[in-house]
Amino acid sequence: MMHNLEITVEQRPEVLERVLRVTRHRGFKVTQMQMRINDDASMAVELWVEAERAIELLSNQLIKLIDVTQCKVIPAVSLGQAANS
Amino acid sequence: MRGADAVIKVLAAHGVTTVFGYPGGAIMPIYDALYGSPVEHLLSRHEQGAAFAAVGYARASGKTGVCFATSGPGATNLITSLADALLDSVPLVAITGQVSTSVIGTDAFQEIDVLGMSLSCTKHSFMVTDINELIPTLYRAFEIAAEGRPGPVLVDIPKDIQIAELEYKTPLQSVADELTPTLTDLQAAAALLTQAQKPILYVGGGVGMAGAVAHLREFIAVSGIPSVATLKGLGSIAHGTKGYLGMLGMHGGKGANLAVQECDLLVVVGARFDDRVTGRLASFASNAKVLHLDIDAAELGKLRQPDVAIAAELRQVLPALTDAVKGKMAISQWQAEVEELSRKHQWNYQHPGDLIYAPAMLRRLANKLPEDSVVACDVGQHQMWVAQHMWFRRPEDHLSSAGLGTMGFGLPAAIGAQVARPDATVVTVSGDGSFMMNVQELTTIKRRKLPVKILLIDNQKLGMVKQWQQLFFEERYSETDLSDNPNFVLMASAFDIPGRTINHADQVEQALDEMLNSSGPYMLHVAIDDAFNVWPLVPPGASNSDMMDQMEKQT
Repeated sequence: MMHNLEITVEQRPEVLERVLRVTRHRGFKVTQMQMRINDDASMAVELWVEAERAIELLSNQLIKLIDVTQCKVIPAVSLGQAANS
Repeated sequence: MRGADAVIKVLAAHGVTTVFGYPGGAIMPIYDALYGSPVEHLLSRHEQGAAFAAVGYARASGKTGVCFATSGPGATNLITSLADALLDSVPLVAITGQVSTSVIGTDAFQEIDVLGMSLSCTKHSFMVTDINELIPTLYRAFEIAAEGRPGPVLVDIPKDIQIAELEYKTPLQSVADELTPTLTDLQAAAALLTQAQKPILYVGGGVGMAGAVAHLREFIAVSGIPSVATLKGLGSIAHGTKGYLGMLGMHGGKGANLAVQECDLLVVVGARFDDRVTGRLASFASNAKVLHLDIDAAELGKLRQPDVAIAAELRQVLPALTDAVKGKMAISQWQAEVEELSRKHQWNYQHPGDLIYAPAMLRRLANKLPEDSVVACDVGQHQMWVAQHMWFRRPEDHLSSAGLGTMGFGLPAAIGAQVARPDATVVTVSGDGSFMMNVQELTTIKRRKLPVKILLIDNQKLGMVKQWQQLFFEERYSETDLSDNPNFVLMASAFDIPGRTINHADQVEQALDEMLNSSGPYMLHVAIDDAFNVWPLVPPGASNSDMMDQMEKQT
């Protein structure tokens, strides 16, 4: 099953490694990823992941990372709309 | 002052009196700042030993443990202990030296990317690359290590940062808000509790870590709910509490496991459905509703979907639930059933013959230990016997590598515990396999003249692995024979540690007294027969209802 996450992180050199490590270790495969630096020195990371597991098993772990300030699961409905648009 | 001086000053400001560590090239400025400072340092003889001593210090005292190591091999030697602290949620700050920022990434001498290595085995980690960030980073490290669900934090400090000049300024500290339970959640939890006919408490290490032991005991006293504990939860419930059935899980008591399988409400307090606890998850308390209380929201629903879950401070949740259920529990029939289970599955210490029966010896030891005592054990059969047959007054009195199951944990953890609690009787119960894994720390005992007692249970085997080979691998004893062990008592004597060997049951009583009454360190080497195994046992993949309790082949 595909899932989409919008993650806000603090700008630190290793922050992407942290996010990707947790994603892999918790059993999710990254299928697409985007990243941009925000004006307020934070960074926005958007991940599309694939797994049989419930997405909360990943989002609950990501939000525990000290450098992750927000982790939003984009509901499947809007994901479908995004794919159609 | 130099960055290195600031490091020591931050430690002192956090009430750190002892640091465990080992010096080396890239951390020399910090060791220079330590020289003559009020912060005491205990030299280990391997960085893993230093970090485990810091873990033992933290677990026995509730304070944050601190360890130092140099870059490269010093830092990599810390990794196992950091992983241990992560899986057992132990507050730890590890400070490593690093090569200077100008040569990071050039494969300089003793350079390794320890920040990268730390990602999977710490709660958080930092590399300080700006001298102005040094003090705030160290303060933040102490906050992160202790707040919420505690854990290890690594701070990697390049050598040029250690020698850079700075003006010491205490940073503004943020006080993390306590996670408070909502009224709705508490009402839902209270409804589950008061409607239950067969509730049971499954108590984990989170209770002790949260400082909620007294709150839990009050909840049990008021509600009368029967209880079981995990390896890390031992000591949270007072020995002799009515309805307390001891440890559950793979080597738990039969009464404990059967009661959990039978319950209609599983009240999980500071625990996480570890596979060694649940056996086959799908059949673990399968008819029960679940009320899960834990500070870490990520544990709620991770392995078992709860009916009600509260991610908040147990010190707030438990008193609120105590008030809510007061006079409203109607579980006398269930309490009687649990009493019957407890009576039926009591441990039997009658063991005829001349051989030393380790479970009986450990029970005797527990009964002899003074009020202020700590038992640190290693990993394997002896660890399970300690958990099954000893009893503890507080969770801080029982140090066991639970989540990671690290052999070599016991001796350095005992050292840290003895430093944290100098007046306590500290006993490390070890096995002949585990003991050799950090045996170099005997020198640390000698150096500081620590009165640590070593109870070495020796069956000349890697006993737990041998037990599994016997049961599940057709008695093919691959690499578990240790009959070429060294002469342990002679070895201890080389570190000025007196001791003796016993191998007859009638020697146990007097030998335990001799060990406990000795004023300094002591080694009691106990030779046991390798035929003794740990019973009962839930075979891998089986339900906790299906415990083996003697040597029988699986059908």
